[in-house]
Amino acid sequence: MKNSFRIFSLLIGLVLFLSWTVSSQPRETSIDKIKKRGYLLWGSDAEGGAPYVFPSPEDPSRLIGFEVDLAEAVAKELGVKARQSQNAWDSLIPALKRGDFDIVLNGVEITPQRNEEVLFSVPYYIYTEQLVVRKEETAIRDINDLKGKKAGTLSGAVAQDILEGLGGVDVRIYSGQVEPYEDLAFGRLDAVLLDLPIAAYYAKPNPKLKYAGPPAGEGFYGIAIRKEDTGLKKTVDEILGKLLRSGELKKIHEKWGLWNETQEKLFLTVEESAGPVIIEESKKAPLHTFFPMLLKGAGITIFISVVSMALAVTLGLVLTIARLYGRPPFSSTATAYIEIYRGTPLLIQLYILYYGLPNIGISLSPVAAAFLGLGMNYAAYEAEIYRAGIMSVPKGQMEAASSLGMTQPQALRRIILPQALRIATPGITNDFIALFKDSSLVSVIAMVELTKTYSILAATTLRFFELGLIVAFLYFAMSYPLSLLARRLENKLKGPGR
Amino acid sequence: MIQVRNLHKYYGEQQLFKGIDLDVQKGEVVVLIGPSGSGKSTFLRCINGLEYFQEGEIHVDGIELHSIERVKPGRKDLEAIRSIRLKVGMVFQQFNLFPHMTVLGNIIEAPVKVLGLGKNPAVENALALLKRINLEGKVNCYPGELSGGEQQRVAIARALAMKPEAMLFDEPTSSLDPETVGEVLSVIKGLVDEGMTTLIATHEMGFAREAADRVVVFDKGDIVETGPPEEIFTSPKVERTKTFLGRILKI
Repeated sequence: MKNSFRIFSLLIGLVLFLSWTVSSQPRETSIDKIKKRGYLLWGSDAEGGAPYVFPSPEDPSRLIGFEVDLAEAVAKELGVKARQSQNAWDSLIPALKRGDFDIVLNGVEITPQRNEEVLFSVPYYIYTEQLVVRKEETAIRDINDLKGKKAGTLSGAVAQDILEGLGGVDVRIYSGQVEPYEDLAFGRLDAVLLDLPIAAYYAKPNPKLKYAGPPAGEGFYGIAIRKEDTGLKKTVDEILGKLLRSGELKKIHEKWGLWNETQEKLFLTVEESAGPVIIEESKKAPLHTFFPMLLKGAGITIFISVVSMALAVTLGLVLTIARLYGRPPFSSTATAYIEIYRGTPLLIQLYILYYGLPNIGISLSPVAAAFLGLGMNYAAYEAEIYRAGIMSVPKGQMEAASSLGMTQPQALRRIILPQALRIATPGITNDFIALFKDSSLVSVIAMVELTKTYSILAATTLRFFELGLIVAFLYFAMSYPLSLLARRLENKLKGPGR
Repeated sequence: MIQVRNLHKYYGEQQLFKGIDLDVQKGEVVVLIGPSGSGKSTFLRCINGLEYFQEGEIHVDGIELHSIERVKPGRKDLEAIRSIRLKVGMVFQQFNLFPHMTVLGNIIEAPVKVLGLGKNPAVENALALLKRINLEGKVNCYPGELSGGEQQRVAIARALAMKPEAMLFDEPTSSLDPETVGEVLSVIKGLVDEGMTTLIATHEMGFAREAADRVVVFDKGDIVETGPPEEIFTSPKVERTKTFLGRILKI
């Protein structure tokens, strides 16, 4: 759901991005436009959660969070109202660039890569990374103890770079901020490193978890503005400086429990606000440096797909035979299984398998959950393809086999199924290719396969286009040989007589 | 050899057989004639359990089969049906050869899988049967490569490979091109001449006259008349037989 939406929006983004680069023209200044329009459009992802921007628990139709308050304060200074525009976090920057909104205000860390793409205001918050472990943990005291351990973090977050920079840490990437802490509590992870505001909201209240050591690694959240909107940037900088000096910014942070000594340094950044804070000279990595990661992702995609499909075709056969030839308890169970698995989203099934089952004491590894989730779901579809195949074998075939004294299982195995499988092969191939692409859904259960690798790389480097083409090519390079193989298989099964 | 007693069969509300009887002696050749839909095929299919029936009983060489339920036949019924099928071979109007197997594969499948015969003797036997039906050259062909007449001859060989004690032919030539009808009938004739107990439903009146020991006339699910062929064809006693023969012989 979230993922396919994200992929969909990426595609749309690509198209719009391309057309934007072609058609961008000089226009009236953004400030004039905002004032004329009467509201400031600010982009953020409410899925990102508390305490940034999130649906109010009392009234889910209303968004709250410290960034909501900040956006309203900034808009008030501009003399307009604030209006939030929802966008997937991963693609906020591309959406800003193509003009979907005026600014992005959503915990966007100021990084060299992003500095290449957009302007940043002076920082409005200094985040630190907080390491969280289980209550009973004693071995991990700070991030230097993480070698050989499993550590979770959020896709595209600065914490991910920190963890990967340590070396020797088994880094697990998540797309939501609730899941890593859940996994930590279940024991699937040893530690979670995330921005302090996230930890303060999601980990601190959990009695099973605790902070390990003081916050580490400082970074800045800035308001992102399109490169050409230098006037708007200047105004926003002035407004933020004013809010800081007047104490209003502090009040907002305090309201959400986010003010600490670190934030005092914000004053320094305002004083010397010559430009955005650049941490280091940025370099664009050559494309080939991404290949090892992408190929690893592709390998995982193949592995998951092949094993899941093997499970699906086997279980599907059992289901269809139970449905067609089984006695009542078996046949109705098989029918119910097929209807339920076809009638509910694969994503929900994966969530239940991976995040739901631990509540009744069954904790599956990500790999096992991926196989079971995909395999059991596709089994329902395979069963129906087999059934169509079996039903299209003429009735006379079973009669002829029976009249020769063959038992029903014998007739099925020797006479009916070989003919039914031949009819079913194109459908099964089709499903295999579909499963290949559906395997990207398992990224919700912390499996980093090809699509996930892509969204992580693209989110940090913002090179959606080149990487997207490479990934699309990789998928095609995997599925096309499969089509060829299936075609050959069909010809072989056909036999010379037909 | 085969006794049918008081056979009743309904399709829902509609009644097809209202208690019919027939006895077939060992070595006897009985030809069933009658209009389409008169119940000849269904009658044959009841004998080897391809159709269920609601009332009556069928005895084949001492094996007893009582009324069978359609949805859930009991274990005893299934066993009886299977023993009957091992004694009685069946040939269908649509041949029903297995399209994914060669001619040889079709013939040895059941002897090997059902009777547990070794592959070598099964092949030897199959080759002998193919020689008898003049199709030795087609051993490795698939059914799709054969003409209708050739397919039906293979289907007969397939049934014979199980060494049945009786044969049921369900309109064996009705789907054939006219020029291939003869080759199939001559194979059946050869079988009959060797003394095989045979029940055959057919519209080939010439064959009935020539090969039958007894002709049974079906009409609307009823046996209206039965007797030696010369009697039935030259001086039928029942009006319905006369009407049927009048219609079919005019064509």
